[in-house]
Amino acid sequence: MGPSAISWRRSRLLLIGGVFVGLVILSAIFADVIAPYSPYDIDVADKLQPPSRAHWLGTDEFGRDLLSRTIHAARISVKVATVAVSVGLVGGALIGITAAYFGGPIDLVLMRFMELLFSFPAILLAIVLMAALGTSLLNAMAAIGIIFIPGFSRLARAATQEVLRQQYIEAAHTIGMSDRRILTREILPNVITPLLVEAMAAFAYAVLLESSLSFLGLGAQPPEPSWGNMLNSGRGFMDQAPWLGIVPGIAMFIGVLGFNLLGDGLRDFFDPRLREAQ
Amino acid sequence: MTALSVLGLLPRTATITTGDIRLSGTSLLGLSRAQLRAIRGQHIAMIPQNPMSALNPVLRVGVQVGEPYVLHRQATWRAALQQAIRRLADVHLPFPDERAREYPHQFSGGMQQRSMTAMAIALEPPLLVADEPTTALDVTIQAQILRLLREIRDEHHTSILFITHDLAVVAEMCDWVYVMYAGRILEQGSVERIFARPGHPYTQALLRATPTTETAQAELLSIPGSIPSPVDLPRGCRFVDRCQYRFDHCNEEPPLLAVETDHTARCWLLETVHG
Amino acid sequence: MWRLIATRLAAFVPTILATSLVLFITVNVVPGSAAKAALGIDATAQAIARFEHEQGLDRPLHVQYLDWLGKGLRGDFGTSFQNHLAVGPELVMRLPVTLELATLAFLIANVIAVPLGALAAYHHQRRADRIISVIATILGAVPSFWLATVLILILALTVKVLPAGGYAPFTEDPLKNLSLLIMPALSLGVVSSALLLRIMRAKLIEVLSSDYIHTAMAKGAAPNVVIRRHALRNALITFLTVGAVEFGWLFGGVVIIEDIFLLPGVGQLVLVGIINRDYPVLLASALTVTVVVLAANMLVDLIAAILDPRQVHVRSRA
Repeated sequence: MGPSAISWRRSRLLLIGGVFVGLVILSAIFADVIAPYSPYDIDVADKLQPPSRAHWLGTDEFGRDLLSRTIHAARISVKVATVAVSVGLVGGALIGITAAYFGGPIDLVLMRFMELLFSFPAILLAIVLMAALGTSLLNAMAAIGIIFIPGFSRLARAATQEVLRQQYIEAAHTIGMSDRRILTREILPNVITPLLVEAMAAFAYAVLLESSLSFLGLGAQPPEPSWGNMLNSGRGFMDQAPWLGIVPGIAMFIGVLGFNLLGDGLRDFFDPRLREAQ
Repeated sequence: MTALSVLGLLPRTATITTGDIRLSGTSLLGLSRAQLRAIRGQHIAMIPQNPMSALNPVLRVGVQVGEPYVLHRQATWRAALQQAIRRLADVHLPFPDERAREYPHQFSGGMQQRSMTAMAIALEPPLLVADEPTTALDVTIQAQILRLLREIRDEHHTSILFITHDLAVVAEMCDWVYVMYAGRILEQGSVERIFARPGHPYTQALLRATPTTETAQAELLSIPGSIPSPVDLPRGCRFVDRCQYRFDHCNEEPPLLAVETDHTARCWLLETVHG
Repeated sequence: MWRLIATRLAAFVPTILATSLVLFITVNVVPGSAAKAALGIDATAQAIARFEHEQGLDRPLHVQYLDWLGKGLRGDFGTSFQNHLAVGPELVMRLPVTLELATLAFLIANVIAVPLGALAAYHHQRRADRIISVIATILGAVPSFWLATVLILILALTVKVLPAGGYAPFTEDPLKNLSLLIMPALSLGVVSSALLLRIMRAKLIEVLSSDYIHTAMAKGAAPNVVIRRHALRNALITFLTVGAVEFGWLFGGVVIIEDIFLLPGVGQLVLVGIINRDYPVLLASALTVTVVVLAANMLVDLIAAILDPRQVHVRSRA
């Protein structure tokens, strides 16, 4: 087992991840073109049909085409995940960089608060935030985004501290560069890479959290299709139509696994030290 | 690396391509894993460079020192602990019966190295491999550990393969010396002869670079250049790039040539002198 | 050792207070929302004002918090907006269900993660390691509520060996209790095991490359002795510390799992609280789940510390 074989295996996993993620993102963008039916068209005569040539994945309890709904649901997942991860990334970067750059009591207070948020179980915190914000897809994005802030802030803080230890920052101070210039010109470019790598892993978790909230009825509201709420409503009909309990789950699995593999691959690529240990 | 290969503990990525490792006439390379395990601890034991990290932080010192008795002599833990206390007394650890119940982090560096030595001599192996055993210790503690090792050598009739960078330690500890450079033995001989008449330019430079009280120098001498990378070794003599006497012939690796009786060095200059 | 336990306990109190404050502020941050939630959106301004006065919601937020906290410490978490029952006794009734589920799930997660993680670490970069790593990656991508759904589909609806949901106390019918809890515990435990497995593997790989492992091998110890006597405990110490935090983070899954399997635990109450906008219920149950997680964290952390002589035995003499 030489190093080249390992990296070949790694790149194969990266490839699988890329294909899964591509599948989900393409479904999200071109849902209207790909989906054979409208995800909203009710046809009670056709309800709970098993997979057939007309309906490849069967129909749900309202006779809607399951394949079309699954494809359209990718849209919600990708949208929520993108917004939530962006909120977490930007918020976390701001807090982490501020804490590391100013240090002292600011650092202490900010990071203690982040630690506190991190000590809550993730889904529980999302649910409580939904209670405060009100149930809607937009608020689900905000709630999931807030959950990501502590993780990103920790990473941003560590990366900033690493940069600050370098000599050239001292040099920048000596030649009279302003705080703002040092932050944007020297620190930000060095902090952004680890954050983007982490964002890929956060994407997977965002897809999972969105599905969880929608499953509980706190995210996407029917008739809007989301893998979470499709699974939840399908559960009631599983004894007659087991595909309703399986198809949305596989879609979630593909989304989460894809982003996970891509995240792992990127992490390896950017951090050769981890390549050894993993 | 030398120490690890003697014990058959090279990492999975490393293999021994040429040569042999023999202990009292038996080749160790042909042995099965189980046979090697029987050798380790019984016939060869190791004294490490850094005793702090070589001791398991979660096991009592007595357990670690006594473990060879359990592994090789099928002793009970109770008996092994008694033996461990005896060995700790052998290495002059004060209050050995109390100390045996303590953990490594409660020990000083010198006490940790004494414990490692007690562990190594537990089953009185004929060979001890001491891999720079004093590098991590204070100077005064170094002297104590060296005195201990000499005592063990004399009282238990143990051979010690002593790996070190410190020529003063060599002069004090050794009978027979191998001078190694970039993975090759460049010179070998009795300690008196090597110090009196170093045959290889590398050994000569090493000795010149060691400050002594007699030849108080204003400036420390050093050998120019640096050790070649193991993936990019020079053709011929390993020392060729840094040698002040190099000539054409050095592109070919010399064999060990006689300097005098029981003293050889891997340098072509010797051929010209004698030949 | 007692000093160690006391220190950890002392650090626990401010953490609980801080989490309770965060929860309280989050739920109460939008003014008037509680009254609207209780009375409906058509409620008149007078009705809202009267309700807020009755419930003490017109007082400043810090007064409300201290009042809630003070009563909460005595076990009084107010009454539900919905059914006007006291929340405290409800919690006490539901807590054992959640604790049992959590314990079982944690056990399952560790029973899977520790041996497989150790196996993968021992065969680092060889076939067994690769297979286990792929399994961990796949498990890590399965949502717990989907696993629950599939388990019900197979074991309850198709093979019909286990009931699909419900609850019976252990003290009344232990067998029925276990048959009802095994699927929920599996759903939570198996999914969490993926993450724990990765941590265990990484920690053990770290330990196996350390000097004291070389020492043990140089003594002639066989591989199983090296792992069992010399590596496992060291790996467990860091594994438990990191693992407990990560498991706690995933533990919010109880809310969904209890809902799916109709388990009358605290997690289900969280959901009831948010769906009915029943803020006293939501606040008390969310705090309880958080305290359970933090207490479990502390307990595991304490076990890890007790396993580590460097923390128990202070350096005596130099």
